[in-house]
Amino acid sequence: MLQSGSLVTPFSLPRLDGGDWRLELGKPSLLVFFETDCPTCQLTIPYLNRLAQSLDGRAEIVGISQDGEAATRELVEQAPIKFPVALDRDLSISREYDPQAVPTLFLIDGGGKIARTSVAFDKTELNAVAAEMLNAIGVEPFELAGRSDGAPEAKPGCVSRHLEGGQEAGREPGAESGLSASVNLYVERGPRASRVALDDDVDPYEFCYEAGFADPLPVIPPTAERVDRMLGAIPFPEKLPPDHIVARVPPNYGMATVEKIAANAVMAGCKPEMMGMLIPLIRAACDERFNLHGVQATTHFAAPLIVVNGPVRRELGFACGSNVFSNVARANSTLGRAFQLILTNIGGARPGELDMSTLGNPGKFSYCIAENEEENPWAPLHTEFGLDREQSAVTLFAAEPPHGVSEHNAREGRTILKAISRALATVFSYRFCFAWEAMVLLCPEHVKTLVRSGFTKDSIREFLFENTGVPVKEYEDEGGEGAQFTQLYQRATINGEECYRKFARPDQIRIVVAGGTAGKFSAVIGSWATGPRGSQMVCYPVD
Amino acid sequence: MKTILVNPLDETPRATGRPASRLDSLAGKTIGLLDISKWGGGFFLDYLEKAFKDRYGVERIVRVMKPTFTKPAPDAVIDQLVKAECAAVIEALAD
Repeated sequence: MLQSGSLVTPFSLPRLDGGDWRLELGKPSLLVFFETDCPTCQLTIPYLNRLAQSLDGRAEIVGISQDGEAATRELVEQAPIKFPVALDRDLSISREYDPQAVPTLFLIDGGGKIARTSVAFDKTELNAVAAEMLNAIGVEPFELAGRSDGAPEAKPGCVSRHLEGGQEAGREPGAESGLSASVNLYVERGPRASRVALDDDVDPYEFCYEAGFADPLPVIPPTAERVDRMLGAIPFPEKLPPDHIVARVPPNYGMATVEKIAANAVMAGCKPEMMGMLIPLIRAACDERFNLHGVQATTHFAAPLIVVNGPVRRELGFACGSNVFSNVARANSTLGRAFQLILTNIGGARPGELDMSTLGNPGKFSYCIAENEEENPWAPLHTEFGLDREQSAVTLFAAEPPHGVSEHNAREGRTILKAISRALATVFSYRFCFAWEAMVLLCPEHVKTLVRSGFTKDSIREFLFENTGVPVKEYEDEGGEGAQFTQLYQRATINGEECYRKFARPDQIRIVVAGGTAGKFSAVIGSWATGPRGSQMVCYPVD
Repeated sequence: MKTILVNPLDETPRATGRPASRLDSLAGKTIGLLDISKWGGGFFLDYLEKAFKDRYGVERIVRVMKPTFTKPAPDAVIDQLVKAECAAVIEALAD
């Protein structure tokens, strides 16, 4: 591959829209080698569109397609691509520049030297390319790829077409199978929702049942007027028109357009201002790190638990005190319900059908709480993800149902934590260690005792990590879940007994303060499979 | 006046495909076995491999494995099955 510092020679390629594109020296150019059926290329396009808009004619981006005219035209229209595109029909330019993967970006400075290259999708790299390009033309740089915009931090690309064996240049991908050139997971605009006209004698509530809209409690019929009211409450509507695709929802990767999200929000009983929560929430759920595909497809109990933090709790009426897990506040119940309706209606994982969870989870109706930050003397959950306390946020956790810990006798904080650690030892399955995370919900009465005993959030986490284990003697009878992996577990002496540590690291234990001020009942919530091979907690800011 | 509802269901345009035609016999064929990397999947597929060869005359078995059961098979794994020109693929969803 041509490296930074190499001098390039002028070339020309036919433009998709007619004529030729020539590499001009004298102003910076960003060459973007891509394939039309490469999902990573499609992911990168909207960022390049935004960069192209800010260049003010003083620099240029050109897409160099390694595929034929028809496939390229389809992608340009679908994505859409808002910068010039040229066709490398015989892959000669691809061979000269020799990118190993697509997308590869070559930033060429005004003097004809390669200033920088970037391979595949990487937010840090994209931001660096953009900054260098904008600085070169005297435009104030801005953050092109934000941390919480729903896209992964990085994504590998596809092998460059000129390196694929047996491929003739200018091919139309997918043509031989008869399917369309690409399943473009990253287009920004989708089709408008269809309208259904009901005759006067049709009960709209029963119709919603028959049409499969419901969850299966009755829903508010998503009339055009109610959906319009929902759309009217969207912040920055020019950036979020009704056909804007917020995310593709697994496992069917259905297009969650702003309009479809609004229709499901109406059905759930949301007030219009909830749209400002739902949009980042759906982005968060479809963040690859959360692995919603796995969470929805598992036979395990897991359902996404939504934890709300920050000033939005008061602004929109989220409950964080008594009965926080119950049917206690319109905001909690409707946000959780709208979220689940979107997952089912657009993502396709309907319980009992694609979602074949053995026992399910009551949270699949609605599983949404707010942290009781007012009773939390320590840092709230969202600050652990790098957000300011005053920044509102939603966090998602692939969660089992809560397991209660009643502890009314403890005079000291450590006694409460010992009770919690015994419950923590049972998450997922008692003898299965190391692979799991857990959320600990501390009630305000327990928090008071813990504070009096001098505990901080970190020291609580350390204590729970050090004291949560499964006695080795529990593995003496044969077989059973977790018994097959003891060679992976860490041994420790806990309460004078030889144990396996339940958790691999203290940060697998998350601590949240929630619930009412009366009652000494805390809870632990176990997880589904965790880490990069499972589901990772994600936290998105809410503006 | 008619009530107009906005359709809240997935209406993503999708290409339609047809299922591949069924095999008339396994004899002489190349069969792919995709292990989803759940614990115990290997035992099940070992049994299947032996049965296919001994009882059904399968010519060649191609074994591939996903990196994790929690996500769909990555393209690189599917490509192995495609390149091997398997007549059929069996996915082992074992626990």
